[in-house]
Amino acid sequence: MLVNFTPPSASEYIRVLPEILLTVGGTILMIAEGLAGERHRRGLAPMALAFLLLALGGAVVAGMDPGPAFNNMLTVDGYATFFRLLVLIVGILSVLISGSYLTRENADSADYYALILFSLCGQSILASANELIMVFIGLEISSIATYVLAGFLRNDKRNNEAAIKYFLLGSFATAFLLYGVGWIYGVTGTTNLQEIHRFLTSSESVYSPLLVSACAAMMFVGFAFKVSAAPFQGWAPDVYQGAPAPVSAFMTAAPKAAAFAVFLRVYSIAFSGLTERWQPILWVSAMATMVIGNFAALRQDNIKRMLAYSSVAHAGYVMVAVVAHSEAGVAAAMFYLASYAFMNLGAFAIVTHYVGKGERYVGIDDMAGYARQQPLIAALFTWFLLSLIGVPLTGGFFGKFYVFKSAIDSNLIWLTVLGLLNSAVAAYYYLRIIVVMYFHEPTNETGAAGPVPAGVRLALIGSAIGVFVLGVMPSAVLEFANRSAMLSR
Amino acid sequence: MPPIPLPTAVPLTYYLILSAILFALGVAGFLFRKSLITVFMSIELMLNAVNLTFVTFSYQHKQVDGHLFTFFVMVVAAAEAAVGLAIILTVFKNRGTLAVDEIDSLKL
Amino acid sequence: MSPLSLALWTPLACLFVLLALPSSQKTAIKLWANISAVLGLLTMLPLITGYDRSNGGFQFVERAEWIPSLGIQYYIGIDGISLLLMVLTAVTAVVATLSSWEAIQDRLKQYYAMLLLLQVGMLGVFASLDFILFYVFWELVLVPMYFLIGVWGGPRKLYAAIKFFLYTLAGSVLMLLGILTLYSQHWTQFGTPTFEIDALLRLTMPFWMQQWVFWALFIGFAIKVPMFPFHTWLPDAHTEAPTAGSVILAAVLLKMGTYGFLRFSLPLLPQASMDRTIVQVVVGLSLIGILYGALVCLMQQDWKRLVAYSSVSHLGFCTLGIFSLNPNGIAGSVIQQLNHGISTGMLFLIVGVVYERRHTREISEYGGLAHRMPLFATVFAFAVLSSAGLPLLNGFVGEFTILQGAFEANRWWAAMAVPGVVIGAAYLLWLYQRTTLGQITNAKNNHLADLSWRELAVFAPFILWAFSIGLYPKPYFEIIERPVARIVERVRPGYYQDRPPSPALAQAPHAAPHTAQGGAR
Repeated sequence: MLVNFTPPSASEYIRVLPEILLTVGGTILMIAEGLAGERHRRGLAPMALAFLLLALGGAVVAGMDPGPAFNNMLTVDGYATFFRLLVLIVGILSVLISGSYLTRENADSADYYALILFSLCGQSILASANELIMVFIGLEISSIATYVLAGFLRNDKRNNEAAIKYFLLGSFATAFLLYGVGWIYGVTGTTNLQEIHRFLTSSESVYSPLLVSACAAMMFVGFAFKVSAAPFQGWAPDVYQGAPAPVSAFMTAAPKAAAFAVFLRVYSIAFSGLTERWQPILWVSAMATMVIGNFAALRQDNIKRMLAYSSVAHAGYVMVAVVAHSEAGVAAAMFYLASYAFMNLGAFAIVTHYVGKGERYVGIDDMAGYARQQPLIAALFTWFLLSLIGVPLTGGFFGKFYVFKSAIDSNLIWLTVLGLLNSAVAAYYYLRIIVVMYFHEPTNETGAAGPVPAGVRLALIGSAIGVFVLGVMPSAVLEFANRSAMLSR
Repeated sequence: MPPIPLPTAVPLTYYLILSAILFALGVAGFLFRKSLITVFMSIELMLNAVNLTFVTFSYQHKQVDGHLFTFFVMVVAAAEAAVGLAIILTVFKNRGTLAVDEIDSLKL
Repeated sequence: MSPLSLALWTPLACLFVLLALPSSQKTAIKLWANISAVLGLLTMLPLITGYDRSNGGFQFVERAEWIPSLGIQYYIGIDGISLLLMVLTAVTAVVATLSSWEAIQDRLKQYYAMLLLLQVGMLGVFASLDFILFYVFWELVLVPMYFLIGVWGGPRKLYAAIKFFLYTLAGSVLMLLGILTLYSQHWTQFGTPTFEIDALLRLTMPFWMQQWVFWALFIGFAIKVPMFPFHTWLPDAHTEAPTAGSVILAAVLLKMGTYGFLRFSLPLLPQASMDRTIVQVVVGLSLIGILYGALVCLMQQDWKRLVAYSSVSHLGFCTLGIFSLNPNGIAGSVIQQLNHGISTGMLFLIVGVVYERRHTREISEYGGLAHRMPLFATVFAFAVLSSAGLPLLNGFVGEFTILQGAFEANRWWAAMAVPGVVIGAAYLLWLYQRTTLGQITNAKNNHLADLSWRELAVFAPFILWAFSIGLYPKPYFEIIERPVARIVERVRPGYYQDRPPSPALAQAPHAAPHTAQGGAR
């Protein structure tokens, strides 16, 4: 191939505006800390927020002029914009809940915020990646930053353990993904998703479907790790439990959403010709993810670990939408991930505050009688938990509704039945928290973490509004998702 | 690009088989070795197997793309190594061990 | 705003006002809650007066887009069946709120907020004409009820609350599956997304699919009713709930299940509902429920549990009537739903009265209450007789019409249900005898106060209503005649052509009190 280098046009740079802003922002944060010194640590979080808001604006601007960028390596369409906005909002909410946590743990530093920004940059690339090497690079930028975040409190053994597990298993999975990419490149001679699709569906191409399926399977290993789908969900509970609470909040929402974004894009575009080969595998995986997540969560006493398993279970619901393999399924997954991001961050925000210094109060029973002390916060927590259960008028309900609707439309009757029954089982462990907060008497240690700091309050309000809007007036988001879901056209 | 003389002695398939063996060795090392450092090196081995695959296919397709990808992978692997070794170091500082089996304080 | 929307959202508006009140102003909160309940009842008046009996279709219809891309609408309207149940809801709300005046002292504001939220949910269930809107309200009911049982309930409240929630949720997710199947059928047949009932009525589905959807919906509704094998959540939930909770649960919540059968299962899936096997299974379960519930009642030591099990038996009559699939059976079933709400509501209030005074529900702890509490004994007698189906009181009208319908469908069904009536009278009278008649055997009962004016006021609406239905049921039958005819016509097309016009069902109970008396005594 001859390389005809044409310098990217200005509009192509605008299409990667959020990535640019995030990278610059993260770098400035780290420099600023060095320049301003110890005394100005309080300004770090607002500064990070400012950059995130800028990037959010950048994503909107980029989304107004959709099209490919950099030799079709990236493509900024509605789908990309949706996920960019989603991860950036998750980033904002995570930064809001991180400030007080870091101060409490004496770990205020610019690195933390810079890493969040870098990680988001990777996820933003993932959202718009249109080419397998970009997928790899985005995945790694996002992951490397989160490896460090997961072990951010260097002297905490739980943090260490979370980081090392996440790092080793994450890199292992990425290697699989990459090996799959290598072979796809070998078979098709390209890494561009559309061209792979064209090659695989063209009648003139000669290739072994079995080999391509093996490649798809290896890439599935990589993606399944990142989205914590069975049978590669094993790391999730340990990592989400061991990482600092605000980081767990971030990790269960943003990297997961971005990984799903790219997973869906790759399988709906590149491998859409091989549906009947990968669909049964994903079917089993979706089913196992839901069952493992929900049934393991039933037995947890540690609230972080329970939410970790719940996160696995929710990945299973999204997998159902992936298996549906239709535009409705893609839209359903998008909507589900958005509503999951809000309800999960809301729940984690409260946990982040509640666990107290050194994350002492992580037992579900530690929340006994919390409703008596902080009725409003307990009510918000209930609101998020009801959404996680999928009670109507919350975002979680329409998420599930939409996912299972798309599954029924694709004739996945049994998967739908299993999914619905699973969501009924899940109600039990979410209700346990409500039971403990409302129906148990408070102990001396209830609410030992004190009043809820302003940042967490803001994040709670934001998440609650998100859950409410998605649950009561979902039309706008749904229609946006519907319009952006036409990936393969 | 000027045509490159084909090395007729070694067929391309051999490179692919070699890379597959390297990859498999990496997987085996990851699964069965006990020391964090060895496990980590196994991952690097897997990435290098991928690099070999890329280069081989790039050669086969007569494209430079595959060579470029190798550089991407190498850069990312270097970044990963920096972060990974730092994490391994903190683990060692806090626990005084590098054995995989002993890192199990979180509930199963 | 149409009168129906007004009725539906008034409790919610009242709820917001309630939330604005400071928690420390306990009297203000209680007063406002009662005012809200009365306001809720007043909003029913335009519906009652404006309802056109000669029209069998939906009235006060209102429609607005909610989620256009999914075809989900805010689409409400009522027919006679929903009207009766909505009025029942509003009356029950007044009674339940007033009955909580003394009983609830803890976390008042949340308590009344939950009651109002519950009311919105229940009204919404009966008013929705869009299946998803219905589902939303259906699930909405779950949450406040869960808290009512869990926070203000009895000793085993946690267990009861979770059991209630999980049972109902498990049922409703299956129902959702049925709804989605209907939706997807409509999508393939007509190419438009919709959940509204009128549109779903146009579907032509193969029989096997109707069957599947029927069972999916059936489980959701049957758990709520509750029908025989699904009833196990009910005794616990009823027993542990606070009095007002039990009253609402018995009077309204259970009717959501039977209402679901009438509004959705029968009209949407006529072939499946007509199917011999299905009818036999459902009727079989109803009959088992009737007899089993009644027999279990005979063995109960716990006053409240006894009343709870009596619901299983009485609701068995309602489902029996529905699946007789003829005008008498269905009309009787609707009336019986109303009656059960009134009489069982009263029985739970009775338990609440003595529980407030003695804090025990053991039947053996009581005896001879009539000596100390004559007013109470009188009211209790009304409740018992109304529940047992004594002529001139409401219970009789419903049960008799149901039996008539069942007899018309299959005389064995009626024959097997009659013992249920007999045992029903037996356990209720025996309960009355053990607790209220005879001598005072337990010294603790020597100083019990009789009903206060407030308590009398709590019972008054139900007693008056019981009498009015018992003495003059005609207007009630008239209200539901057309809607019932529509359902029957839908399930059994041509039913009315084969029979002499208008069997005048409203007159039936008057015509034959002696026959039924023979059966009941």
